[in-house]
Amino acid sequence: MINNKIYVLSAKQISIQNPLSEDWMTTPIEYTEPFVRSIDPNFKEYVSPIEARRMGKILKRALATSKEAIKASQLDVVDAIITGTGFGCIENTEFFLDALCKEGEQLLKPTYFMQSTHNTISSLVAIQMKNHGYNATYAHKGISFDSALQDAWLQLRLGKIDSALVGGHDEMTPSFFTILQKGEVFGKQVTLTGEAAVSVVLGNKADNALCRLSGFKMLYKPTLEDLKANVNLMLHSAGLSEVDAVLTGINGDEACDQAYLEETRALFGEKPILRYKHLFGESFTASGLAFYVGAHCLNAGFIPSQLFVSQQNISVEKPKNILLFNRSDGKDYTITLIEK
Amino acid sequence: MAEPILITGAGVVSAIGLGKQATLDSLLSNRSGVGKLAYLKTDHKEFPVGEVKFTNAEMRAMLGIPEGTVSTRTSLMGMLALKEALDEARLTQEMLPKVGFISGTTVGGMDMSEQFYLDYIGNEAHKEYISVHDCGSCSEMTADHFGKFAFATTLSTACSSAANAIILGANMIRCGEADIVVVGGSECITKFHLNGFNSLMILDQQPCRPFDATRNGLNLGEGAAYLVLETAESARRRGVEGLAQLSGYGNACDAFHQTASSPDGEGAYRAMKDALDMAGLDATAIDYVNAHGTGTPNNDASESQALKRVFGSVVPPVSSTKPFTGHTTSASGSIEAVFCILALQHGFLPVNLNWSQPIEDGIVPVSQSTEKELTHVLCNAFGFGGNDSSFILSKSVI
Repeated sequence: MINNKIYVLSAKQISIQNPLSEDWMTTPIEYTEPFVRSIDPNFKEYVSPIEARRMGKILKRALATSKEAIKASQLDVVDAIITGTGFGCIENTEFFLDALCKEGEQLLKPTYFMQSTHNTISSLVAIQMKNHGYNATYAHKGISFDSALQDAWLQLRLGKIDSALVGGHDEMTPSFFTILQKGEVFGKQVTLTGEAAVSVVLGNKADNALCRLSGFKMLYKPTLEDLKANVNLMLHSAGLSEVDAVLTGINGDEACDQAYLEETRALFGEKPILRYKHLFGESFTASGLAFYVGAHCLNAGFIPSQLFVSQQNISVEKPKNILLFNRSDGKDYTITLIEK
Repeated sequence: MAEPILITGAGVVSAIGLGKQATLDSLLSNRSGVGKLAYLKTDHKEFPVGEVKFTNAEMRAMLGIPEGTVSTRTSLMGMLALKEALDEARLTQEMLPKVGFISGTTVGGMDMSEQFYLDYIGNEAHKEYISVHDCGSCSEMTADHFGKFAFATTLSTACSSAANAIILGANMIRCGEADIVVVGGSECITKFHLNGFNSLMILDQQPCRPFDATRNGLNLGEGAAYLVLETAESARRRGVEGLAQLSGYGNACDAFHQTASSPDGEGAYRAMKDALDMAGLDATAIDYVNAHGTGTPNNDASESQALKRVFGSVVPPVSSTKPFTGHTTSASGSIEAVFCILALQHGFLPVNLNWSQPIEDGIVPVSQSTEKELTHVLCNAFGFGGNDSSFILSKSVI
């Protein structure tokens, strides 16, 4: 039997907006620089100074958002820890690679290597929480977080787990940002690149939930017809005829944004189109922030005006549902439906 | 007990050959592919490795990919294995839009990044390789060679990546998200992780000796393998046979240390136990265990304890096939799944090569070629960070 009552119990973030807070809903920080690093909270509450010295930023942020998300979910333990990360612990990877390429193969120390793999994040959270449950890590470009979300969603529906901590974590160093720009990895002219640390707790009990997760679909290079069919099926399964708003990941790269918006309009007509990357920046796990933004809008009962793409239509009274429409690199797609 | 999922195609490439026939021949004749380093350009010639015996250019030629096309060794090996799996399951390009693709890798395009990193930070040369550094891009490159899959994603849980791809694929099928999902993994040897493992002092300068008292580390290997997972109904409809079935699986976290396993093998124990529970099988039903058995002092001691906790005093025949291939890291779960399928189909126990002296309180592995009718086999894949996964493959009954 498939259980379709899956809830989002909490969602926490550390990003280029104020950390571990929803200040961005009323007083967003605006940036003009092309690349900004996250605003970090004081990590002392989450990790001892001795441990913190050996940890990269991505790990400290993951511990902080994970601990806050679990606290807010009011669960004592979670049954699964699942992380999405496009590049993994890139700062340590760079340190090791840099030493390898510049100093050769004789004097390399294990410290950076030990914390360079993608699954270091999920493992560290499990070690700190002494959690022996299901543990996995996804690394698939702009749908890394979405892949982790899907894994949790499948297992909750199958009844294999009752709760899951799902994370989306990517860090960005100035040197790696320069390399990515040279490779046009996020596109040619992305307005703002940031970092992302998001932790959400999913469960099968509705108490104190921010919202409900009603549908998820991952697609690769779909045609518009494929997209239409999947959106219609998802809405139909949820008993909906239309959505209140669509949250997109347009990022300022004009050529891509134009195609993205055209596709969005072809699918959703005149429904209000929202964006979030102008506030949070681009990263491989930015879509985790989209999930966080959508969940908090439904919970707060309003959509901040700065999220609307068109300033002519900036009011959705008490939104009951939001569809998260992630289109990454023009080929990796996810559709996620969340409802009040 | 869940509805079993069939495996209707399998493809493999590793140090012991390209394709299932060459692999079977090597396994049956105890011919190891581990030897002197020949393909990777590194100073560390002292370590034996299990390399795939083709250059990238040779693989491109075999696949009909023009010279000069951006490709990584991980994706090229992936294509060789994926081709065999798709062909066997009779999945044509026209059918792929209904088929999912889930791959496991950790190094991704690091083989190119470590060659061109100084260019990346210094000039404009080779910048077309920057966008294939990440894991997901390598998976997509592998998949795109054959057509357009319905969806594509990538697991990266170090040495259990491919095993976890198998688990995700099965969960997607059980949830009704797809009838057919191709799962597996690919990983080439890089200087990055050869040096990383060396810095952790877990590489042996001799051929690795899993479960032996004198074991002193692992040999790195490389390769790729993919399995086609399919519902019984879909296989019947398409008229394809199951090579084996996936009866159960488990994933647990050791939650002990980033690069070491716990003395009592808690994560490994839980993963195996969950796989048995899901399959609805008693431990005594398992006829053979393909162990993770890396040959490091830590893994083999820990895995021995976990096996004893699961199976009690009657541990079934166990072997590590890593002396054949080296440790193929992210791909090991699916490569060893193919070995298990061959063992089920041909009725034999793969030998744990290079073994002579038992570990005190450890398990005694299969050391002689043995014919044996097998019904259920269990396969382990454990990763750094305690990412432990196990799955059970059974003789296909449908």
